[in-house]
Amino acid sequence: MHIIIVGCGRVGSELANLLSQEGNDVVVIDKNAASFERLGRTFNGLTLLGSGFDLRLLKQAGIEKADAFCVVTNGDNTNLVAAQVAKKIFKVPKVIARIYDPQRAHIYSTLGLDIISGTVLFASMLRDKIVESRFSSYLIEAKDLGVIEIEVKGSLSGSTIQDVNMPGEFLVVAIRTLHGVVIPQPETVLQEKDILMAVVQVTSLKKVRERFGLGEK
Amino acid sequence: MYIVVVGAGKVGFYLAKRLCSGKHTVAIVDKDKLVCEEIAKELEALVVNGDGCQPRILEEAGIEGADVIAAVTGEDEDNLIICQLAKEKFRVRRSVGRINNPDNEHTFSELGVDVPVDATKIISKIIEEEVSFSDFVNLMSFKRGKLSIVRVDLPAESPVIDKEVKDVKLPLDSVLVSILRGEEVIVPKGDTVFKTGDDIIAITTVGNEPQLLNVLIGKL
Repeated sequence: MHIIIVGCGRVGSELANLLSQEGNDVVVIDKNAASFERLGRTFNGLTLLGSGFDLRLLKQAGIEKADAFCVVTNGDNTNLVAAQVAKKIFKVPKVIARIYDPQRAHIYSTLGLDIISGTVLFASMLRDKIVESRFSSYLIEAKDLGVIEIEVKGSLSGSTIQDVNMPGEFLVVAIRTLHGVVIPQPETVLQEKDILMAVVQVTSLKKVRERFGLGEK
Repeated sequence: MYIVVVGAGKVGFYLAKRLCSGKHTVAIVDKDKLVCEEIAKELEALVVNGDGCQPRILEEAGIEGADVIAAVTGEDEDNLIICQLAKEKFRVRRSVGRINNPDNEHTFSELGVDVPVDATKIISKIIEEEVSFSDFVNLMSFKRGKLSIVRVDLPAESPVIDKEVKDVKLPLDSVLVSILRGEEVIVPKGDTVFKTGDDIIAITTVGNEPQLLNVLIGKL
């Protein structure tokens, strides 16, 4: 694939190396020449110095034949503009933007941009690690559904998955045990210290907490 | 009208000042606290200190009731996003966005800014005219700089001297408006004869300016 990455910070350079090692044609764009040092010596893609929404530079980067365009600078507005230029002017089939501001991320997702925004997710993960005893949440910002982790303890150990699941509200999709991660069967029995990964209806979170006796520290 | 201006640099400040005196209600937003304090002292406008790219700051500036948004910061990406937020999220009818880098003009139009204003291009065009043609002056541009009213002073060597208007073939989309001869204002008719020193006022599309100049002065 021909892939253009705008922003050569930690994420951009890591992504560029990953994709390039997998044999993709990668072009990295950054405003600051020193940023390209993060790519290391083994990077064999192309680097271009300049703005991520400069039409001439993008053409030079081969945007007209690009399969994917990913923009991860530290400027939300730069990312939003560059993503729209790639999507609307150059019709790149896959365009992804990283956005820090949750409000702008939400607005532009509803306008049809493919956006990854870690801010709320990351903050709520940290919050759970600080405050919760046996519970942490992921992807709660997806609004309706969330993914949570629960540590098995006390009365929960010895129950089977079919006892634990709450149809339509709470579904265990994986169990992390001492021996690795397994996909559970209805009759799988939970052991002390297992970590359950479950999909939960956000509106049922309170009920799940009560049911499994999940308290704050 | 209720107008929200984002960016209180020179352009934003004078724009807000003019709009205020023109009986519009104005809110002005800027990131810089000191700048905001100065403006609050001088203008009868709602002044909001904050990043105008954040929806909640625009809300503070009353964007929901605004008729027009004018994004005139020094950053093109900010101006574009402010215009989009105003239109898409807050349903503001008209968005005016300042372009700092002329290369971004196409992007502004493509991404839905109603009125992109390319200050750099406009100013450099005026300066270019002043520098290159002494007998040709652009009096005013409108329709986003696509149409101009121009003044041409006819020099003695002009090819149209002593010719009648009907015998002079003007380029497409150019119209003679009037001829100023000394104190006299002449509305040109077919049999009006051009004289040395006439000031010709004409309307033309910007693309046809060089041809009009060629016809009236005989050089580019």
